[in-house]
Amino acid sequence: MGLFDQPLNEIRAYIDGKYRDGLARELPFTPVIPRADSTQVILSEDTGLELGNPGMASRSLLLWDSGDGLADGRITLVGPDFPESDSASLPFAQVLIVGGDFSDEYDCYRDLRDATYNIRLRGFMTRVFPGRQSIWCRVSKEALAGGFSAQILGSSLIQALKQLDFVRGAEVLMVTSSKGDVDELAGPADKVLDIVEALIKMYEEMNFDCEECEYVEVCDEVVELRQIRERLKTEREGKE
Amino acid sequence: MAEAERTRVNKVVAVCGKGGVGKTTISAILSRLLSEDAIGRVLVVDADPAVGLGMALSRFPERTVNDVRKEIISTVREHSTDSMDLAASVDYKMMEIVMESGNLGFLSVGRPEEEGCYCQLNTLLREAIETLSSHFDLTLIDAEAGVEQVNRRVMRSVSHLLLVSDSALKAVRVAESIRKVADDAVNYRKLGLLINRARGEEDARQLASRTDLPLLGWIPEDDTVREFDAEARSFLEIPSCPALEAVRSHILESGFLSD
Repeated sequence: MGLFDQPLNEIRAYIDGKYRDGLARELPFTPVIPRADSTQVILSEDTGLELGNPGMASRSLLLWDSGDGLADGRITLVGPDFPESDSASLPFAQVLIVGGDFSDEYDCYRDLRDATYNIRLRGFMTRVFPGRQSIWCRVSKEALAGGFSAQILGSSLIQALKQLDFVRGAEVLMVTSSKGDVDELAGPADKVLDIVEALIKMYEEMNFDCEECEYVEVCDEVVELRQIRERLKTEREGKE
Repeated sequence: MAEAERTRVNKVVAVCGKGGVGKTTISAILSRLLSEDAIGRVLVVDADPAVGLGMALSRFPERTVNDVRKEIISTVREHSTDSMDLAASVDYKMMEIVMESGNLGFLSVGRPEEEGCYCQLNTLLREAIETLSSHFDLTLIDAEAGVEQVNRRVMRSVSHLLLVSDSALKAVRVAESIRKVADDAVNYRKLGLLINRARGEEDARQLASRTDLPLLGWIPEDDTVREFDAEARSFLEIPSCPALEAVRSHILESGFLSD
């Protein structure tokens, strides 16, 4: 059992369905990635393509498990690739599925976010708003003209994740086709958000009074969260 | 300009001085000149809680830095958030509130809220402004009054301190006291005094002789400026006029911003 079993199953069904309907394509993972020295800020005048900007549909999800059902290295794109876009702005969903050994779920989650929030690619700006699961990216005109694509972004994300020693494999789904296709991910996304917020609360607040906790229903539903809570509670009582 | 060159330490100009001396007008005229200048990308920051610069430039952002601060506090209260997500959220929202037009970006700091202590969030907000600023060639800050406010709420590093005074000696004394604070608070490279609404060169020289602040020049009273103020017209459209040409001469052509 894993923390994200239910939303992961739903996302895998989404990916399978898109492949089945001929709406998804697989892009090859290419490990050589040009990196920028610092966090990128791309101004609108320099922007060739915006993905998931605050006026568009946008989702950013990060899920992990032991990696049994993982298609390691697979980059799935639903919709136009960045250089193919007719529009200067596209809806965007980015789903990262990671497989590995997560002995401390929260520490691992921090490392996973650190690796992916701070992705530094020349000519590519990314901003995430975790509370809304939004992601907003800008690809510069220069980078777009130079061939910056979903394959480069996907490969870079997989590469960043695989540099973590507890990660065995990673898979990326990107959706650029329509608001409808992005919104189809709302169901699993809501579950991911609930689970992640419950996890953060357990570690950050160290409050195990379930009667007072707004995430009690989430813990009741996700066995793995209850196990983490019990482990933390025991550890804390041992310290007192 | 190539992207590789973009992430460099830019010039950060803070316009400071006693209330009512015309800091916002000078900032607005300078914004107008910089919008056409070859200096590159300019981030204009309205750090005065009165948000006068936004009005002078007809930039009315829906949200300010302080609104972002309130939104984040509200999010943290409603959802479990850790420091990593907090920092990411600040970066996202700061990018959202920059009004971009041509080579100008505009950011309004808004009215400060003193309620509660959110030191970590305030630091994140300031760092987000600094990160943003580093991608512009020049950042122009219309300050509330003194440089300590800029240092605390907007930027830790100010490279050019533009002190504005009018013809009153009291305003020059305030400029001197701002320099004194700046000597401790920020590591500025250049500093100069601009005398606004001076009656003439002699008037400006006499006033300048009573201070050791280096005089950059003086700005005359100008009917065009008065008219743009009275009609609430955007200073980004102000035509050539004596005040505009004086700002051009004393700030841009004098080499004050050249290093």
